[in-house]
Amino acid sequence: MEMIKAENLSYEYIKVTETEKGTKEEKILALNHVNLSIEQGSFVAVLGHNGSGKSTFAKHINALVRPTEGVLWVNGYDTQNEELIWDIRQSAGMVFQNPDNQLVATVVEEDIAFGPENMGVPSEQIRKRVEDALNAVGMLEYKQHSPAKLSGGQKQRIAIAGVLAMKPKCIVFDEPTAMLDPVGRKDVMNTILQLNKEEGMTIVLITHYMDEAVKAEKVFVIDDGNMVLEGTPKEVFPQVETLKSYGLDVPQVTETAYELKKMGISISQDILTVEEMVGAICQLKSTI
Amino acid sequence: MIRDITIGQYYPVNSPIHNMDARVKLIITFLFILTLFFINTFLGYVFVILCMSAVIKTSKVPLKFMLKGIKGILIIILFTAFINVFMTRGEHILFEWGIFTVTIEGILIAIKMCIRIVLLVVGSSILTLTTTPIQLTDGIEYILRPFKKIGVPAHEIAMMMTIALRFIPTLLDETDKIMKAQQARGADFDSGNLFQRAKSLIPILVPLFISSFRRADELAMAMEARCYHGDENRTRMNVMVLKSSDYKAVVILAIYCIALIILRFLAARFSFIW
Repeated sequence: MEMIKAENLSYEYIKVTETEKGTKEEKILALNHVNLSIEQGSFVAVLGHNGSGKSTFAKHINALVRPTEGVLWVNGYDTQNEELIWDIRQSAGMVFQNPDNQLVATVVEEDIAFGPENMGVPSEQIRKRVEDALNAVGMLEYKQHSPAKLSGGQKQRIAIAGVLAMKPKCIVFDEPTAMLDPVGRKDVMNTILQLNKEEGMTIVLITHYMDEAVKAEKVFVIDDGNMVLEGTPKEVFPQVETLKSYGLDVPQVTETAYELKKMGISISQDILTVEEMVGAICQLKSTI
Repeated sequence: MIRDITIGQYYPVNSPIHNMDARVKLIITFLFILTLFFINTFLGYVFVILCMSAVIKTSKVPLKFMLKGIKGILIIILFTAFINVFMTRGEHILFEWGIFTVTIEGILIAIKMCIRIVLLVVGSSILTLTTTPIQLTDGIEYILRPFKKIGVPAHEIAMMMTIALRFIPTLLDETDKIMKAQQARGADFDSGNLFQRAKSLIPILVPLFISSFRRADELAMAMEARCYHGDENRTRMNVMVLKSSDYKAVVILAIYCIALIILRFLAARFSFIW
């Protein structure tokens, strides 16, 4: 079943800039007739440089922004329909970039209860949901702590738990690791992967870290509001020149393989991880 | 540097006062403050001080913490005393100097006023020292709920207080960062007179305000993404339930009020000014 399906999805807004001659208005097409579908239980990554429209797309999934043209279905609900807005937000949760700006309460467990409280879940069930959500992100021991005293990665896991407590079917991550240190990034990525593998959660990860995107089952590349590339990481990343033209990097090892090929060494081009690279080089060595 | 500031003054111990329902504590504190303006004899104050000592003893909070609040308002106390001593007219004049006359009545009123202010501050300190900020906001929300019909936004007030509490440490952190960044570029916050110092704070406030607005915008979006839509159909994880100890506290308060009324009546009957 499709969790998210976009048909001709477009979003246009008017940007007002102050110039010396007065204000100037220009229409900006943040998303240009995007078509895509995301299967339930899958893990997809959306790539794009800054201002490419990937965050706008993320906000559409949560009905924080509505399409100006086309349709977007989330869990079978049309996001254009005002009455379904709470059902949509309940089935597709969202984790934002800055962990500080999405926690509401002064105690961890109160913050996680915020979502279920808004949904009107009975009090006894909220407590159970909070415990389960904290358990899922491995932060149960911090239940009574103040978020202010936690590290960035821990705060981000609390934010994830806050979304989990709403029991969504899909979670959209809008650059969740952009403000974290390497340890925090690793923790958050592990939590995301675990949610996908163990709980069967549909994950949409918006990112510009390539090493995170290679872990996805499918990769979408957005450039200036257009969906320009889609496919498995093994299909997308070998297109080194194309990706670079969109202002994106490729995983280091993929680029190494590309450069080696250019130098005339026959090496497979769909290498994404260091382990694969090691394997490929060892094979090369044995053939020489 | 400024990271270590604690929010609120909650003193975490386990005592009967700490375990009381925040709503009951709020109402009792409010009534207690009202009764302070009802007492007009020293005997009455002695009675209040005795009752209060008993409450402080049960709360297990050291007296030092209770009296901390007085330090901040020392100037107000002294000013009140000064005004009362010199401005009260009376029969028993002690001495006169220009427009200033000091009378026995004036001194007595000044002493009573000071006791009143001290009791008021200590009384409200008992509330804030034994109740966490979250319990307080929850309590305020519950108490204000009946006034929603006349347009008091009870839930919104409580939500604003919670968010303010949540963001105080975050904004303090940020202030610290901005100050350090500016000090690194040669800003000076520690010298000069009061005006110069106040002026040097403006370059801190401007970026702080801008970032606060940005935070508010992001937070609003994150709250909406988590289905926030005011208090319509909203449930709470922690439901406030009145315990038997809360009822006992209300009974004790009633006895206290009756005792005060009797005291006042007796004082009037025997025209007793002490």
